[in-house]
Parts: sequence; structure tokens; C-alpha cells
Amino acid sequence: MSAVPNLLRRYGTLLGFALVILVFWVNLPETFMTARNWLNITQQLSMLMVVAAGMTIVMVMGDFDLSVGSTASLAGIVVAVLFTAGYPVWAAVSLGLVVGLLVGAFNGVLVSLIGILPFVATLATLTIFSGLAFILSGGKTISGRAIPESFGSFAREGMPLGEWGGVAITLPNLTIVAIVTVLAVWVLLEQTTFGRRLYAIGGNIEAAHLSGVAVRRLKLIAFSLTGGSAALAGIMYASRVASANPTQGSGLMLNAIAAVFLGMTMSEHNEPRIFATIVGVLILGVLDNGLTQMSVDSYVRQLLVGGIILLAVAASSISRRRR
Amino acid sequence: MPFLSLRDVTKAYAGVPALRGATLTVEPGEIHALMGENGAGKSTLIKIIAGVVAPDSATIEVDGRSAALDSPAAAHRLGLRFIHQEMNVVPALSVAENIFIGRRYPVRAGILVDWRKLEATAREALARLGITHIDVRRKMARLSIGDQMLVRLSTAFLSEPDAPARLYVMDEPTAALTAEESERLFRALRDIRAAGGSVLYVSHRLDEVMALCDRATVLRDGRSIDSGRLSEITHDDLVAMMIGRKVEEAYPKPASAPSPEMAFVVEGLRAAGIGPLGLAVRKGEILGIAGLANAGQRELLRALFGDLAMSATTIRLGSATYRPGGPHHAWRKGIAYVPRERRSEGLVLSRPIYENVTLAHLVDHSIGGTLLNPRGERRFAASLGDSVRLKARDTGQRALELSGGNQQKVVFARALSGNPRLLLLDEPTRGVDVGAKFDIYTIIREMTAKGMAVILVSSDLPELIGMCDRIAVMRSGSITETVEAHGLTEEALLNRCYGRPAPVAA
Repeated sequence: MSAVPNLLRRYGTLLGFALVILVFWVNLPETFMTARNWLNITQQLSMLMVVAAGMTIVMVMGDFDLSVGSTASLAGIVVAVLFTAGYPVWAAVSLGLVVGLLVGAFNGVLVSLIGILPFVATLATLTIFSGLAFILSGGKTISGRAIPESFGSFAREGMPLGEWGGVAITLPNLTIVAIVTVLAVWVLLEQTTFGRRLYAIGGNIEAAHLSGVAVRRLKLIAFSLTGGSAALAGIMYASRVASANPTQGSGLMLNAIAAVFLGMTMSEHNEPRIFATIVGVLILGVLDNGLTQMSVDSYVRQLLVGGIILLAVAASSISRRRR
Repeated sequence: MPFLSLRDVTKAYAGVPALRGATLTVEPGEIHALMGENGAGKSTLIKIIAGVVAPDSATIEVDGRSAALDSPAAAHRLGLRFIHQEMNVVPALSVAENIFIGRRYPVRAGILVDWRKLEATAREALARLGITHIDVRRKMARLSIGDQMLVRLSTAFLSEPDAPARLYVMDEPTAALTAEESERLFRALRDIRAAGGSVLYVSHRLDEVMALCDRATVLRDGRSIDSGRLSEITHDDLVAMMIGRKVEEAYPKPASAPSPEMAFVVEGLRAAGIGPLGLAVRKGEILGIAGLANAGQRELLRALFGDLAMSATTIRLGSATYRPGGPHHAWRKGIAYVPRERRSEGLVLSRPIYENVTLAHLVDHSIGGTLLNPRGERRFAASLGDSVRLKARDTGQRALELSGGNQQKVVFARALSGNPRLLLLDEPTRGVDVGAKFDIYTIIREMTAKGMAVILVSSDLPELIGMCDRIAVMRSGSITETVEAHGLTEEALLNRCYGRPAPVAA
């Protein structure tokens, strides 16, 4: 096979992304390609980045976590409830993260110790965690005076980057949190023995096991981390809207999985890679941002985004088929 | 006129040539062997014939007319039938359904499956192999591995009036068969030949090829050599054609005698399907485990490795008591394991060589047990690769790009990575070509010379006799006797495996 289709397979998705950016740039010359818009996109995407980074961890092993959306909602509610009970910000946020790690570990126990398929196990816990969020919140949005001022303002503030075209530019705090999380996941997956073993499990679980990889323990840890990252995203969202709602995380799961799949089309051996996942997140976010600015109806937007995901994955599968 | 002729076949994968102008002609009414070391291009050539892989260039003729083998369906229409190397059966389906996999089921009233006809046709296909003991309505999962293999073989013998079979391509068909089952297959193949059909037979077992086949095409580095009539050449000639040099010895001589010191002792071992049994290996000794298929050899190794729940009255590794605690524990204690199926159990195929080599002792190659040190890993893998005579571009090459023999060397490199005290080998040379086999034997010898103890499970009797110091015979999960390998004949060993009294020496 010649080199061109090979290049297309690896870089087709990136090329498509560049094309999408170009189209928006031409159609929205005033607003799209501005520092402000891009910083805005990264802030809007920061929660999805964190969840998708966590999702990448379990997908490296060939598993899924469908419960991340509910986990995010649950963590937001836990933090808000703790605020109502008078806990300080640091304590409430820490406990929210701990809840995420614990429910993630629960998924891990179901998958690794009991041996339920991740799809089924996390489909069930999706409902369970969501139910818990509703019970804790009484089905209502928790907002208002209960939420400390410093918690809500965190999402609105950022690191000043200077001026650009006479406008002050700041790097939003949420974006910083997302970048730090992504870098941490990168180190974990690509630079540690832990990550190496996860990739071995994803490549051949039996060979990994016989080579002394503690498959069960690693799965347990991986699912806990995914749960923890979902909780972090939920807390970020709560900070952004200065309130918590038992359904606030529901859109995250599908987008996170879509981002990992989009990223996989860019990797040579169809393995999930963290930076590729983040490009996947950016593709989804940029599409949404550009189409919204072009006043495309939100239903039509869904159609377009779904179609583009299918196109990218289909193109990559077709070019892989006959070697 | 040949039935099938392929000339000047070239094919490269990502710039690496697999075939460089190979030629293959199969006459009607002949059994033609396709031979060569792993990596010589056999699988690629077969995949091209099967229409699975497109050649970069080739002249292909069937019955003297130019033909296109551009899809499996096209190959099937031309009368080509394939038995591929990897087992592919659907355990949940019946024998008859498995025989019909990929074919159209007979129907009645336009849409309903005609089960009676399906079963009758399946029974007929089995009968072509002389098999009557397998009920076609049984679930595949309930059959022994050997019977499953026979069922798979029979799929090639399914009669199909609209595309009659002309050439049967068989890739290592006897790998999982007993001697009797193999003999049945050979009889069926000879019947095909007598009826004017052709067989392309791929096997590493030279004796089989010499006895069964008329001609051979030998592939070496992607080029082909026509052997001419096999009846006119010797076994050694054929080997020389395959590896391009003369071989003196099939097995390297031991460098030193085993030490009297015990390396590993187990007594009263019981696990699912095996025991009670005991065995002992000395330092520098190779203990062979012989036996018929499924006599418990695999389970024995798994139990010793700690991957199968077991109990024992005593287990000693060196002078200390050893308690199996899973593969992780075994590696740490200095027990290494080379599993039977290198592709499904041995390697993470999608990952580079060096990652596969360091996986069992990854902590030793990291910084502080946590941070990876890929450069150090590559260096380590390269030096171990040299010592196991691994042929690869570099250690960053993915395991799936290697030939079978080289893949097995990667598995060996991992097994040796922690300087183990006890090496457990399960069929270490199965599906490995002659050259790599000799390399692997040499590695084993080098390790025993350093005092490593080896337990070698093998169904290759000459290998057991040629390599081992002592051989334990397993039958139905127990060790029935342990004999000195020196001076043992294949026949005597086989008789012991069957539990028949050794015939009185003349």
C-alpha cells in the first residue's frame, strides 16, 4: 500500500479538524479566531477534558465507564450538601473527590473482583449514582447562600495573561485545572509502570496476567481514578454555575467516550492516547462553539456533530480494512 | 498443465519485503508441500492464494487461464479450500453448524433451515475423513481439542456442487492431532490425490512431509526453490534448502552435567484435574514431561506457576519452602513461564519488543519502581535479544511484525529477564521453524549450564529425548513413571505415554 492512504488514516482526523477551523474562520472572521474565543472554548471544555482524560485511563485497558456523568452530578451534590452543612470549601471539595474515588472503586470491584462486564456494571451504577444524587439533594438544585462566595468565584477568575488588542486576557482557572489534570494523566499513562501495565492489559489481558501484571488490582485503581476525575469535573461545574443539580453531569459521558474514540482514530494502533483524546475533545468543542456562533439550530447541531464522529471513525476503519 | 500457478509474486508490508518473486505451481492429482522457516513468506503466500492479501505483483493462472484471486469468495469459486492454522470454532454452536460456518445453510420452503439436510451433509463431510464417532448435533464445546480439529478439517470436505473443491490448502493441520487422527487425515488426502484433486500442505514436520507429499516448494527469504520429487531427495537435503546451510545436529550437546543439588521439589501436588503427584528437578537439569494430549501437562505447569489453585504437602524452591501465590509472585521468586500459545498468552502483540521483554520485571527497569526508563529498557532488551539470537529491526518494533520463531524468542527473552532459577516451558518450539528451534535449544542449554532448572512439556518426542535428562510420563493427570532420557527410543516413550508395557527388546 502506498504511503498516502496511510498518512490519511493517521492524520485524516487532524486534517478534518483543520478544515473545520478554516470554515469557521472564514465564516466568522470577527469572532472565531480570537484569543478570547479560544480561551472561552477551553473553559467551556475544561470539565469534558477532565472526564475524557479519566475515561482514557479505563479505555486503555479496553474497558468503559458509563457512570462518569452520574458520578460528576453526585460529587457536585455532595459538595453542595456539605456546604449547606457548614463545611469549609477545602473540606467539602476534598470529600467530594473522595466520594468520586470511592464510587469509582465500587465500579472497579464490580468489574475486576466480581467480573461483571464494564458495560453492564457501569450502566447499573450510572442509575445508582444518579439515584443517590437525587436522594441527597431531594431532587432540587442546591444554590444561593449555601454556596460560599469563594467557591463560585473560582470558576470566574483566572490567571492574567496580559493584553491583546486592547482587551485583558486571562487564562481561566478551570482551564488551568483541566491542563494540570491532563498532564497528570499523561505522566501516569505514558511515563509510569502503572500506565505501561494498563496498555499491556489492553493489548492482551492474558499475556499481561501471565507476565505478572496484577490485573485485578490495576483495574480497581484505574476505575477509582476515572471516578475521581469525574468527581473533579462535577465539582468544577458546580463552581462554574455556583450551584449543584442532580442531573448536571448527564451530558459528559457520551461526549467523553466520543472524544476518546475520535482520538483513537489518530493513533497508529488504534490505542487510546491522552493527547489524542484531548484533540477529540477540542474537535467536539470547536464544532459546538462555531456552529452556535453561526446560529445553527441546536438540533441540527446534534445531527452534524454525530455525523462528523461517524465520518472520522468510519474513514479510519475503512482505510484499515484491507492491508 | 498445472491446476494452479503463481509466478513472480512480490509483496511488501510497509516497505519490508515478504515475498520477492516467489513461484508456486500445483499439479492436479498431487500433494504439494510448502515449506520454509517462519518469516520465509509461507503465510503471506497462502493469504494471497486465499484472496485475503493482495500481492504487489504476480501472475496467477488457474487451469492455464489468468485468474483473479481478489477475495475469499473468488478463491472459493475457483475451488480452493483452506484450513488455516489458528483454531476458529464457535463453541456454542453444534458440530454441523460449525462445519457450515461461512456457507449457505440448506433451506426448505425458501426460508426455513433444513436441519436434516444440514446434518446429513455435515455427517458426509466427516465421513470423508473416516470419522463416525462424532455426533454432528453435539455442541462444539463438548468435543476434545483433537475432535474439534477434525471437525475443522472436515469443513474443507463439504461437498458443494456449485463450486467443487479442486485444491485443499492445509496449514499445519496435524498440530493438535494424535498419530491415529493424523493417519486418518493422510488417508483422506491420498484419496483426494487419487481422485485427481490437489493438496497444498504446509507443515514444519519434515517426516510427515517426506512421507505424504510428492513435491515441495521451499521458500527462503521470500524466494522459492522447487525441490523436485521428494522421493529423490533426503530429509537433510530438504532442511538444507530451508535454512540455506547444512545441519549437523538437531539438538545441541549439553555443556555440563546437572548438579546434584535440588532446584525444585514438589510432593503430593493436587489441583483441578491433576494429582496427586510429585516431581523434583536438580540445578542444571532438564526434566521433560511427556504424555498424550490433555494428560494434565498444561495444568501442572499452571499449578506450579501459581495460576491454578493447588495444594501440596511439600514445595521447595532451592532450600526454602515455596508457596505459590500467582504469576506475579512466581516471577519475583525466580520462576519463569513460557506459555503454550505465544500469540494469545505470551505476547502483547500490539506493543514493542522491549515492552514485552521487560513486562515481567518492569520495576527493575524503572526509576524508583514507578517512572519508566524506556532507554534503559531498550538497551536491556537489545542485549537479551542478542543472547537469544532475536532477528528484528530494532527493539521498538511491534511484536506482531515478527515471524513466529522470533516472537517466541521475545517470549524467551522475557522469561530469562530476571535470571530465573526454574524455567517452565510449554511446547516451546511448536510452530517454530528449524533454524529458530535450534536457537531455542541452544538458549535452553546455555541456561542450564548456568544452573537453571528446566521443566519442559512437549508433544514432540524427539525433542524430549534429545533435550532432556529425565522424562516424566503423565497420564490422566498423574505422573506414571520417570525415566532416563538417554538411550530411550521414540517408540518406547510413546508406548509409555499410552501406558502400554514396553515391548520386550529383541
